[in-house]
Amino acid sequence: MADMTPTVPTRPRSLVVASAFGTGAVLAYFGGLFGIYFSIRADAMAWGTRWFPEGAIELAPGGMNMATMAVSAITMGWAVHSVMNDDRVHAYLAMAVTAVMGIAMVNQTAFYIADIGLPIDTSQATTLMFVIVGSHLVMVTVGVLWLGLLLLRSLGGQDTSRHRDLVSAAALYWYAVTAIYAVIWIGIYIAK
Amino acid sequence: MTTTYSDASSTAVEEAITSTDPVTLSKVWGMGGMTAVLVGLVAGLLVSLERLDLESAGIFGSGDELFQFWSAHRVALVLLGVLPILVALGTTIVPKQCGANTLLFPRAAAFACWTWLIGAGMTVVGFLVDGGLGTPDGGGQRQATALTLMGILLVIGGLMVATMCILSTILSGRAAGMGLGDIGYLSWTTLVAGTIWLGMLPVLAANAVLAYVDLRGRPAVRFGAEDAIWEQLSWVFTHPAIYLLALPVLGIALDVISSATGSEPANRGVLLVATAAFGFLSFGAYAQSFFDTPGTPIMEEAIYVLAAFAIVPVALVVLGGVLDLLRRGGSDLGSRPPAPVVLSLIAVLLIVAGTVLGALRVVAPWDLLETSVTGAHFTLVVGAAVIGAVAGLSHWGEDLLGSPGFPGLMLLGGLAAALGVALIGAADAVSGFLGQADFTGVDLATAGYPDSGTGALNAVSTLGAAAFLIAGLIWMVAGVRHLAADPVGAG
Repeated sequence: MADMTPTVPTRPRSLVVASAFGTGAVLAYFGGLFGIYFSIRADAMAWGTRWFPEGAIELAPGGMNMATMAVSAITMGWAVHSVMNDDRVHAYLAMAVTAVMGIAMVNQTAFYIADIGLPIDTSQATTLMFVIVGSHLVMVTVGVLWLGLLLLRSLGGQDTSRHRDLVSAAALYWYAVTAIYAVIWIGIYIAK
Repeated sequence: MTTTYSDASSTAVEEAITSTDPVTLSKVWGMGGMTAVLVGLVAGLLVSLERLDLESAGIFGSGDELFQFWSAHRVALVLLGVLPILVALGTTIVPKQCGANTLLFPRAAAFACWTWLIGAGMTVVGFLVDGGLGTPDGGGQRQATALTLMGILLVIGGLMVATMCILSTILSGRAAGMGLGDIGYLSWTTLVAGTIWLGMLPVLAANAVLAYVDLRGRPAVRFGAEDAIWEQLSWVFTHPAIYLLALPVLGIALDVISSATGSEPANRGVLLVATAAFGFLSFGAYAQSFFDTPGTPIMEEAIYVLAAFAIVPVALVVLGGVLDLLRRGGSDLGSRPPAPVVLSLIAVLLIVAGTVLGALRVVAPWDLLETSVTGAHFTLVVGAAVIGAVAGLSHWGEDLLGSPGFPGLMLLGGLAAALGVALIGAADAVSGFLGQADFTGVDLATAGYPDSGTGALNAVSTLGAAAFLIAGLIWMVAGVRHLAADPVGAG
């Protein structure tokens, strides 16, 4: 058995490791939902059943959201780069822009869902769509709150190149948010 | 990482609720888990008693009520029982094995512990107020079913956050110079199992969220239908996902026997690879029969069958490692080997038996998937996990509570549990081959062949359930007495 004498932990970046596990768990959650969605959709298509009602899902709102998320991933990278270089002004700007884009994405999705007026219990397709899109909105909201916290820390001078783990962890999470939306965009908005 | 412990002047209740001390959290996880095991065993005995007389339905008024207890038995043992006990060991013992100062993210660990406990309470209440995870005839209360699902989600959340803290400690908190290949077997198997848990539990959460959303407020489309909820979640209580409970127990057995015999396995690298393979073969989130494409049931697909057979030689490799340790250092154990050694050896043997039965279960011509062979398989693997986890609690009792506890009582309980698990496993396996259904319902038609002659076997299985329950009670007495004798106070 291994030596059980406690010593001082010397390995850094525990926040990033924990965040990677958390982000992995979130990806597994969406993996489960996507697996169910595409499995049932494939069966419906094989039987010649219409998946969503005609004209219910439009490409433009999903495309706009995808563009917003893609740009936000770039601004998130900008934030990490700025913190690593101790460039506080750019860090403030990048985090704020990323958070605003997240809020814009939530707003756009909420408006679109209200606009199409598709009841959640119309079919299995709509139930799944609402659960997937709703779960993603929750994920984006958590990311925005996290960015708000980071912004406050930055204003207090706590996010520096020596203490950048929380920013790196948030960036990892945000990239996962963007990647998941890419699957939603292709699987729901484009493939319908 | 900041470690926050509670004020020494606080009351016992304040200490219990606010503490971030891993030992205190381990006590909550451990006692909560053992209580849930006891609840699960009571439910199992009641279901077993009902099965003795399927003509009169003497205990439960309907098949739906029986189903609620039948499913509660499995939920209580897996999500509320064994997993939390393993988390208890992971919270305290794993950091020590890794040479870490303490568990990383202690506040998150405390949050996870209390989230799990509240979720476990909601789950149990949900089952007791006519909810549970759906019923075959839709006779349950929808609000109570929703409560159960919400409880399950909290339980999953708590287990996941706790697992993240443990895994982060292994990866980031271990001592400088200590490679992953150098950590204890419990830590290694917890690392593998925890990683897979973090891949499977979120999928279970996705199933539960889908069922919950569809259940609330209006007639369910499909996922929240009363007769569909259990089938969506049941994959976590059967092959291959169920093996993941057994993986840390293999690590416990290797650590316990290695420590007791004072010898190291000659083939450590092989054992590390074998236990990792055991973990990856246990990934079961794909095996969701509810979403089968017509004509291609997942339980008859090659990956499912292959995993069931491939895990047998892997388990035998670990058994070989255990036997090698005993061969080389067994003489040091004397005529009365320590309780943890006996219990962990029993656990490994039961795991191997479980994997063999799991392989037989998927042989298509025998058509055993829906029979009580599935229940026997569950009992063997989960029973082994319970016995192995208790072996771990007994072995590391001094690290957890400052005193060695009551190994005699632990051994007595372990022997009763082993007898109970063996009786249930053997009787239900034979009944399954005779055609008895996994969930028998309350009438002979639902149970399988009316004249299959399983009455005597069901009586044997009931005796096994009683022995397992007695074991749980003995362990509970030992645990409470150990806590009461805790020389380091509340931790």
